Order: sequence, then C-alpha cells, then structure tokens
Amino acid sequence: MAASPSDVPAIEAIDLVRTYRTHTGVLRRRPMTVEAVRGISFEVRPGELFGLLGPNGAGKTTTIKMLITLLLPTSGTARVMGFDVVTETNAVRQRIGYVFGGDRGLYDRVSGIDNLRYFAELYGVEPSEQKRRIASLLELVGLTGRENEKVEGYSRGMRQRLHIARGLLHDPEVIFMDEPSIGLDPVGARELRQTVRSMVDAGKTVLLTTHYMFEADALCDRIAVINAGRIVALGTGSDLKDAIADRTIVEIETFGVADEAVERLRADDEVNAVNMEERDQSQILLVQSHRGAHITQRLLSLLGDTRVGKVVAREPTLEDAYVHLIATTGDDEARSARAASVQ
Amino acid sequence: MSAGRSTRLIWFVTWFNVRMLLASEFFILLTFISPLIFATLGFFLFRSGGGTAGQTLLYVALGAGMMGVWSTTLFGCGGAIAWQRWEGTLELLVNAPSRYDFILVGQTFGAVVFGFYGIVATLAWGVLLFGMPIQATYPLLLPLSLLAAVVSLGSLGMLIATTFVLYRHANALGNLLEYPIWLITGLLVPVATLPIWIQPVSWLLAPTWGMEAIRGAAIGADPPILAIVMCFALAVAYYVAARIALVYVLAKARRDATLSLQ
Repeated sequence: MAASPSDVPAIEAIDLVRTYRTHTGVLRRRPMTVEAVRGISFEVRPGELFGLLGPNGAGKTTTIKMLITLLLPTSGTARVMGFDVVTETNAVRQRIGYVFGGDRGLYDRVSGIDNLRYFAELYGVEPSEQKRRIASLLELVGLTGRENEKVEGYSRGMRQRLHIARGLLHDPEVIFMDEPSIGLDPVGARELRQTVRSMVDAGKTVLLTTHYMFEADALCDRIAVINAGRIVALGTGSDLKDAIADRTIVEIETFGVADEAVERLRADDEVNAVNMEERDQSQILLVQSHRGAHITQRLLSLLGDTRVGKVVAREPTLEDAYVHLIATTGDDEARSARAASVQ
Repeated sequence: MSAGRSTRLIWFVTWFNVRMLLASEFFILLTFISPLIFATLGFFLFRSGGGTAGQTLLYVALGAGMMGVWSTTLFGCGGAIAWQRWEGTLELLVNAPSRYDFILVGQTFGAVVFGFYGIVATLAWGVLLFGMPIQATYPLLLPLSLLAAVVSLGSLGMLIATTFVLYRHANALGNLLEYPIWLITGLLVPVATLPIWIQPVSWLLAPTWGMEAIRGAAIGADPPILAIVMCFALAVAYYVAARIALVYVLAKARRDATLSLQ
C-alpha cells in the first residue's frame, strides 16, 4: 500500500555527513579536512516544530544548508516532503522557505516592499496573487506601514521580520529558520516566537536552530541537541530535562575564583559537572550533583579562601541539561571534528 | 516555466537590477562620469595629434562611450555577484525555484542597457564642448548595431558572471579585465594596428564587433553587416557556454560551499 502524504516525514535526514576541505599556513599550505556534520539522522513530522540546539560551530547551519539544497552532503541522504535534496532540488525548493538570522540576505538600498516583490517573482508567486500575499505577510510580521521605507533604515528586529515574510512568500510547506532571534532584543525575540508559533498553528512544519535553551524549550515540540557534528540527545524538552532530573544544581556566586578551586570541585566524587559563567564583577559556578542541597557545605569548603556571595540550590532546567550534554560529549569530539584529518 | 513567465521574470530582474545600480554611488560615478572623462582625454589626445576632422572625433567619442559600457558590464555583472555574496543574497537567488540563468540574464542586461547611456553621454559631450558633428552613414543600421552590441556584451557579461558565482575573489579578475579589453578590442585604437598574434583574441570578444558595428553604421565606408552578424553569433556562443558552465559552476558551488562568506 502506498504511503499517504501524512505518512511521509516532512524532513528526513539519514546519516548525513558533510566535510569541508580547507588549508592552513600561507607559504606551506597544508590541506585539512574539517568534519562539520558527522552522521546526523532525524525525522520531522508534518506540522511539527523541531529544534536543533547546539553551540556555535556544532554543525546546525551546515545541516540546514544541506536540507535546503545549498550544500551537497558528503554522504548520507536527506529528503524534504519526500523529495531528495541532492537529485530533486527544484521540487524541494518549491516546497521550502528559509530564514537566516542576522543582518544579511536583504537588499538594503531599496524598500521592504520592493524586496518582497522581487523575491515573489523569483519564487514564482502568481502576479495576480502577489499584492494580496505581500499585504497579508506584512500584517503577519507587523511591518504594515513601514514597508515603503528603505531596508537600510530598519532595526534588526524589523529586518528579521522582513526575512520571515520573504521566507513565507510562496506559502512553503516546510520552513527552515537558522538562529532567527540572534541579536534581537527581548521584546523582538518574544514577537518572533509568537510569529513562529502562528506559522505552526497554520499547519507549517518548522525546523529551527538556536543556541538559546529558553527559546527551544518555549517553542519546540522536540529538540535535537547537536554537538561537534553529532546529535547527542533527541526528545521533548521534558525528556532532555529528565536526563538530569535526579540532580540538584547549586549556584555559587564567587568573586575572583581561582582555576585551581574550580578544578577541586570538578575532581570531587560527589560532583557531576561544574560550569562557570562570567559576570561583570563575579563568576557564577553551576555545580551539578546527585547529593541534593546537602552538598553545599562540602562545595564551600572545597572553594577554600574564595570570596563567596549568594548560594542557591535549585531544580535542573533545560539549560542545565543542555550544558550537561555539551560538556559530556565534549572537547575530544569537537577537536576531532575540527581536524579530522590533516593530510 | 512558461515563455510568458520567463519573460516577465527576466524583465523584472532587469528592472530591479537597474534600480539597485542606480542606488550605488560608485556605479553612478562609473556610468555617468567616467565615459565623459575618457571622451575628454581622447578628444584632447587626438587634437594634439592633429586629428581634428569630425569623423575622427566621432570615432573617439564612440570608443570612449564603449569603454564606459564595458566597465559597466564588468561591474554590473561580475561586481554585482560579488556584492550579492557579501550581502548574503546570492544564496537566495541561486536557491530560488526560478531558473538561475534567467536571473543572470536579467541582471546582465540591466547593467549593459544602462551602460549604453555612456555612448549617448559622450556624443552629447563631444557636440557641446568640441563641436563634433553627429552623423550616421547608415542610419537604418545604427539601431540594429546598438542592439547587436547590447546583446553580445550582455551575453559575454553573463559568461563572466558565472565565474564570479564560483570564486569568492573573482572581482579581482573583473578589475584585471577592464583595461586589457579596452586595448585589444579596438575601443582606443583600431584592432588592425595591434600585433598580429593578439588579433584572433580580439575577434572572439564582443566589444570588438559591437564597436565595429556601431562605428561602421556611424562613419563606416561599408555597411557593418559582418560585425552585426558576428555580434549575434558570439551572443549565442556566449550564452550556450554560460549555460553549460552554469551547470558545472552551481554543482561545484554546492560541493565547495562558495556561495556565501560564512
């Protein structure tokens, strides 16, 4: 029996690998192969909002670029709405929209509406349909009334919303968004999340990359955590949090903590992981442990003479789960991905 | 894609590209001012050499105008690709469901048609400041010669633009191509005065025949039929070569990740 359209995954990646050839040195150039994506597999169901979460350089953008036919995979296969991204590029391109974060990807010297008209032509939107479609998208992204201004005068949030309108011009079934909230202020990021959610409510499938845990948790039905070119966890936000649900997070504010003191914490048998966030005048140590809040005194004694401020013990969040995953799939993987082979 | 849809796409891209170029101060300088500077230098050079006859001035004016057209072609075709890569729109254009060769045709002809302003400007400059007479030996062939030159330069521009899609630093090649092409295609001095070994290269280049056709219609002794035919023949050859190159270039760009700067 033939598969019905709803049986076909909106996005399907099977063991995707992508390597880049580059070189080091100026006079004595040494060829080098960098493995950006190292065997990624996942499926996204129609109508799902799927998140790819990972640090910078994890392989998120490379994965998206393979799925939207901008890059050829080195090996592996991928399909969008059942069409192969290597051999059926035009069928894929007709069904996808994509939005990259940041300032680039727009014609700055003309107005927002001119950008949309131009891309409407390129995306094959019927002339009779263009005016209505552009007006409704401007309304959707909140740019009605500003569409005749030159893009060079737009704020970053307005540019990002124009990117989204551009990506939706041809009413694509699947939308790829690569770090769409990067550089947005909190209000702009919240508006963007509402727009993304409304796209999913309208029946679109969305694949979104981000390195903001809150964004992934608030928006995504499922999340794949990617690190050093591999998926290290896949599930709902709750699934990921469950991985460290039995742990307690102790947040310790310190002032001028020495590296040796942090290493003492890391070396302790009762401590699962330690991460440090730099603030203006202080450092926040995030210590994961199975021992609950009882471990606090032990941690403080391990810090020795370090000046300590506020200490809080709390439940783990998705961010803690993410940090745990990234830390445990760690540095060795990243190093080997960056310099897979020096020939 | 239907013929009507394709024509609309090419027309729309041409119009949009003209608007984008008009918004560029560098392009305004290149297209509006530089042909006048070339023409002025040429007029004084030929005067100091004793060449005061009206036909000589017209010869110089048309050559200077065509130099501007060539510069505009290089900048408008190749430079625009480099600019698109820098502003992140090249990926969007290449990855659009429309045929990319049609997009390139629109971009190229937008630049070339606009560049032909240079010829009009230098002729007006010559008439106003140097008393140059306006004449056309074969007035009916002049529009056809201009059309032939536009089409052939546009196709050559498209062929050049395909290399710019592939290489991030191809605009350096564009700069290299400006002065040598002026020299070897008869814009400054007749091709016949060039060394024998370089002349076959000149014959393969659209500006040679475009210039020959326009000058032939304006001040030639014989109708420039051969030059017009050569313009159209070269245009077809360039377009076919560009289409073939584009298949390879786009596949290689996807393999080597050269469409963006990221």
